[in-house]
Amino acid sequence: MATDTEVDLTPRLKTDEMLINMGPQHPATHGVLRLILTLDGEIVRHTEPILGHLHRAQEWQGQNRTWFQYQALIDRVDYLSGMFTSWAMARAAEVVDGCEVPERAEYLRVMVSEMNRITSHLLWLGTYLIDLGAMFGFPFYPFREREKLLELFEEIAGQRMMFNYIRIGGVMRNPKDAWLSKLKKFTEEFPDRVDEYEAIVTENPIFLKRTKGVGILRKELGMDYGITGPSIRASGVNIDLRRTKPYSVYPKLKFDVPVNDRDGDTFDRYIFRIREMRQSNEIIKQCLDMLPQGEISGKKQIAGLRVKAGEGFAAVESPRGTLGCYIISNGSDRAYRIKWRNPSFCNLSILPELLKNHPIADVMAIFGSIDVILPDVDR
Amino acid sequence: MSETPAAKPPEEPKGPGLCGQFLKDHGIATTRLPDSCGVETIEIDGAHLEAAMKLLRGSSEIKLDYLVAVSGVDSADTFDSVYQLWSYSNNNELIIKVRVKKTDVVEGQLPLVPSLSRFWSAANWHERETYDLVGIRYYGHPYLRRILNVWDWDGHPLRRDYKQLVDALNDKAPGSFR
Repeated sequence: MATDTEVDLTPRLKTDEMLINMGPQHPATHGVLRLILTLDGEIVRHTEPILGHLHRAQEWQGQNRTWFQYQALIDRVDYLSGMFTSWAMARAAEVVDGCEVPERAEYLRVMVSEMNRITSHLLWLGTYLIDLGAMFGFPFYPFREREKLLELFEEIAGQRMMFNYIRIGGVMRNPKDAWLSKLKKFTEEFPDRVDEYEAIVTENPIFLKRTKGVGILRKELGMDYGITGPSIRASGVNIDLRRTKPYSVYPKLKFDVPVNDRDGDTFDRYIFRIREMRQSNEIIKQCLDMLPQGEISGKKQIAGLRVKAGEGFAAVESPRGTLGCYIISNGSDRAYRIKWRNPSFCNLSILPELLKNHPIADVMAIFGSIDVILPDVDR
Repeated sequence: MSETPAAKPPEEPKGPGLCGQFLKDHGIATTRLPDSCGVETIEIDGAHLEAAMKLLRGSSEIKLDYLVAVSGVDSADTFDSVYQLWSYSNNNELIIKVRVKKTDVVEGQLPLVPSLSRFWSAANWHERETYDLVGIRYYGHPYLRRILNVWDWDGHPLRRDYKQLVDALNDKAPGSFR
């Protein structure tokens, strides 16, 4: 028999890992993402993302719709930055076809895309604070500026989010002078507005506690997973297609690509998006000054639009990273095969690694910081 | 939809490019295909794919360490697995194609291509997607299951001979619960 001193006094609790289902209808998953979390107490040990709730067969549509019809569909792939999806496909079709794009169209493309980058980051900023639990109405600040840009989009493209403005060979419509001066006014006041956001967020002690040191993305790990965009630049990898594989008129424009000098955490990913918005604003300013006169499309925008036979891959730097489009054309009025390389899809694949050994309260802080758009993941 | 890409005009035989020569020096035979929009394109036998990828990724001068995308293509008489390779540090680009002849595929089975995801995490989801949509089985993949379609979906939608059994939009199938 055991004496008193030999009795094991540790509490006899059953400890086991627990499976928790998060989503698909979770308000902070920006769409419908389902995560199956394996929890050890409050600590996440393993994550399995289940995708496809928003799968709309965009690649199948590409094979079964004419080029002209499909152009109108692809903005839906990433509804927050529709300009970039249009641009990626237009670029891929243009390199395969070999058609020239007029310079004015290129400047207009850069201009509207950078506007779109700002709106995308602004929406991210507002919703990210909500993800973190900041329910005090901060999102109205970035949404105020986003609204101004959306109104400009509405004026030039007729749509606030699904623009269908960038077409194969050029752009759809010429901006009026009034539109340009409105945009100029916006670019002049925008840096002050960014200062406002920063005054509220950047040194907010609660925000810092939720984000500093959380979800550190090691550079090597990010490169292994093929992460791109601000998320990897915040971890010190200098990859921005606007500089590393320059396209369009970006070589003529002066702007910085902010790159971190260490492995970035959630806070770094926030601050690098803020810096990127300021740079985008500078780019728009330069484009407004340099905008040449001339044609806006190098290809007739007709329903029977054709792309010459061939294959090619082209990519643009979207707010989320490398957005690529691989086209195989057989010279008919529709693609033989069209494959999308979506940054959200690739960036999301690292989520299980980032969540590992973090408390469940950080899941949304980390997931929000890699800025994933679910329609872009599921296509 | 069912027509195949027009036959390309015969090109004059080209010597191996930068990456093709590099692989040749290390004893891996490749076939150079016509460049796709100025990017070197090579065809490689599936058996050598893993060794070639490790060489290209690890070498200091080529350093193709960024796997941009893995695409599956249902071509006229082959299934192609296409790899877009870039580099995080220099401007090299390469497209690798692994082709499986349709006549080589066993009736009722999927074409087989070796998986890269054991040593390259970026390939994991791309290969799952290609398996799901085009129906190429990547052997050696740790978790090869459907990713975009639901797990009990029939067939592979981007195959040329794919027929959807139930019209999902205008469901007229008798006995359907939808």
